[in-house]
Amino acid sequence: MNGKLEYWVKVPVGPIHPALEEPEKFIITLDGERIVNVDVKLGYNLRGLEWIAMRRNYIQILYLAERICGICSFSHNHTYSRAVEEMAGIEVPERAEYIRVITGELERIHSHLLNLGVVGHTIGYDTTLHLSWLARERVMDILEAIGGNRVNYSINTIGGVRRDLEEKHIRAILDMIKNYRNEVMPKIEEIFLYDPTVEARLRDAGVIPKRIAIEYSAQGPTARGSGVKKDVRYNEKLSVYPDLGVKPITPKEFTGVVKGDVFDRMVVRVGELWQSMELIERAIDQMPEGKIKAVPKDNTLLFQLKKAEGEGIGRYEAPRGELIHYVMGQKGKDVPAKWKMREPTFPNLFAIARALVGEQVADVPVAIASIDPCLSCTDRVAVVDANTGRKKVLTERDLLKLSIEKTRELNPNVKAKPEVVGVGCPRGGVL
Amino acid sequence: MNVLYATLGFLGIYAYVSFASLLWGGIDRKLVARMQRRMGPPLLQPFYDFLKLVSKESIIPRDANKFFELAPVLALATSIALLAYTPLGFEPIFGTKGDVILFIYLLTLIGFLRVVGAVSSGSPYAQIGAQREMIILVSREGPMMLALFTILWRLSDLGVTKPFSMGTFYEHNVWELGTPMSVIGTVVLLLVFLAWLASEIEVGYFDIPEAETELAEGTMAEYSGRHLALFELANAIKAFVSASLVVAIFFPWGLSGYIGLTGLPAVAIDLLFHTLKVFAVLFVSMSLFRAVTGRLRINQAVSLFWTRMLPAAIVGALLLAIDTLGVVA
Repeated sequence: MNGKLEYWVKVPVGPIHPALEEPEKFIITLDGERIVNVDVKLGYNLRGLEWIAMRRNYIQILYLAERICGICSFSHNHTYSRAVEEMAGIEVPERAEYIRVITGELERIHSHLLNLGVVGHTIGYDTTLHLSWLARERVMDILEAIGGNRVNYSINTIGGVRRDLEEKHIRAILDMIKNYRNEVMPKIEEIFLYDPTVEARLRDAGVIPKRIAIEYSAQGPTARGSGVKKDVRYNEKLSVYPDLGVKPITPKEFTGVVKGDVFDRMVVRVGELWQSMELIERAIDQMPEGKIKAVPKDNTLLFQLKKAEGEGIGRYEAPRGELIHYVMGQKGKDVPAKWKMREPTFPNLFAIARALVGEQVADVPVAIASIDPCLSCTDRVAVVDANTGRKKVLTERDLLKLSIEKTRELNPNVKAKPEVVGVGCPRGGVL
Repeated sequence: MNVLYATLGFLGIYAYVSFASLLWGGIDRKLVARMQRRMGPPLLQPFYDFLKLVSKESIIPRDANKFFELAPVLALATSIALLAYTPLGFEPIFGTKGDVILFIYLLTLIGFLRVVGAVSSGSPYAQIGAQREMIILVSREGPMMLALFTILWRLSDLGVTKPFSMGTFYEHNVWELGTPMSVIGTVVLLLVFLAWLASEIEVGYFDIPEAETELAEGTMAEYSGRHLALFELANAIKAFVSASLVVAIFFPWGLSGYIGLTGLPAVAIDLLFHTLKVFAVLFVSMSLFRAVTGRLRINQAVSLFWTRMLPAAIVGALLLAIDTLGVVA
């Protein structure tokens, strides 16, 4: 951007682009194949979650939190529960904490396998995608067995968990881990640690130096891949994790060097797969008997929460990095005064945008995929602002009406009247 | 040669190759799917795709110029013209002296027309794809031409009627040179040719200009409907034709001689046998290669050609040449 002749091309990657799983826009300024500047535009996936939450009580928000993201559904509702528990001073039984650890680590396995496949796909290596997603089916089956669903297992509740682990579940989990150790992990390691194609593409791509990782507050495998020893489970001594001996994984233990590139992030993920399996085994070993819920009935719990006042913060190491939920209670109401969350993708996105400057356009998709972006987690705040500067707030009813009208416009054969029926939750509460 | 028969034969070859190359597309997708533990699409999926695309509306970008519509037509026309000089188990119909050079020109022209179409579309993705296509085109032709001309020069030495023509490969077989040196040299050149073939049809390492996850199909980004259908057919024929070149050089054996057939049945048998050989070559260079590799960066691909393939071609050429130069024995 100095006075020289400019042959720069602006390439929009997004909002809809084959490399991105979710809508989001990166405006990339190119000089040939070299990237000069990256501009991140967020907000295509806005759902107004906090606004919806202000109309639901504490227990209903659990299910909303779970639906923030389909991959880290457990992480969100776990973190939310921790925040509410801290606010109301609810003591969680130890067995429940162990079950949470087991579910959380199973989820980490499925999330990491998913991301490894996605990274393989973005470098055109589709065989890795099919291999790791095939392996992922097994852990999702286990999650279905213990939670009841493959994606939103809703095993968590405020003050404990809703389902106990039975003998057959434990047997199935141990079986799965044995299978992963013997059959899946050698293949995954062979691909992501030793394959020449993968190494050629992932080495020295999207490098985030340690200083930048700290400066931009990168989280999770993105930070650990750059050599920052940052893991909430370890640093915060979260729940029963210290008893299980959790340690932040850096690529140093596997390859001996820390470069902070895409390859290192993948190495961290492979390492965490091993670690998660170990943690699950230890948790199953040490799990005590006892009750699984602090307050057995939901209405008693709601009554107790209604009396609660103050603030609570929940932190948890989601598969993508540190997740923070903040809840502020108000006395006499079963609706929180404030609910707020910070996702790992948000800082990671800007760290990767900074890291991409000076690299090649071929590295953009793989670098973005390597932080495992979860944009439906990230897009949150609504600003209704037309070109004229006028502000207009659409209510839930308006949105529904608009969508019905749009449907009729697209398909005039739909006979039903544009009438808003069966709108979910009871109204009320304040913003 | 009877003009009528030549024209009819040419049309027949065009129909046959279109069918065979689209069928290979289906077989390839099915095979790769099985390698990746998937079911894969039905065998005739490329035909369905082609028919669907032909029936659909073609969207032309506002900023596109006339070449955008012209390029697919020209590309298909070029690929049809190419068929006249393609060895398909027998000597090419219009085979003449030096047609190898024309063959390579036409093959490159298809790539060039893709670039013209992409640049005319005005889309940034297509333009980056076009840049990449040009770069890789320049790097892949060098080693391949060196290898090809070495073999032709060596075979011409044995005395052929039409030097530097496709027919040369049917008069003499490169393996029948016989000396250990030349066998090793030929194997080296075969590897160069397989890499060139993979790059020509853009799979595996060399899926760089189209790079679906990076550039959203790159050079083909703005094409849709009929125009895309024409390009797809041209590309399928190009894959078949490029593999035919490799088959003609390295595996030129026919079946008809052994069975003792003559006339039209012999042509049919040879054509079918040739198709099988083409499928075998494409299986190695396309399906297997696609299943076990990812895409490289453009600079890595270019350096692969200049620092690995070109020296390999030179070594192969020297090994072939040493016999005649009389350096050894």
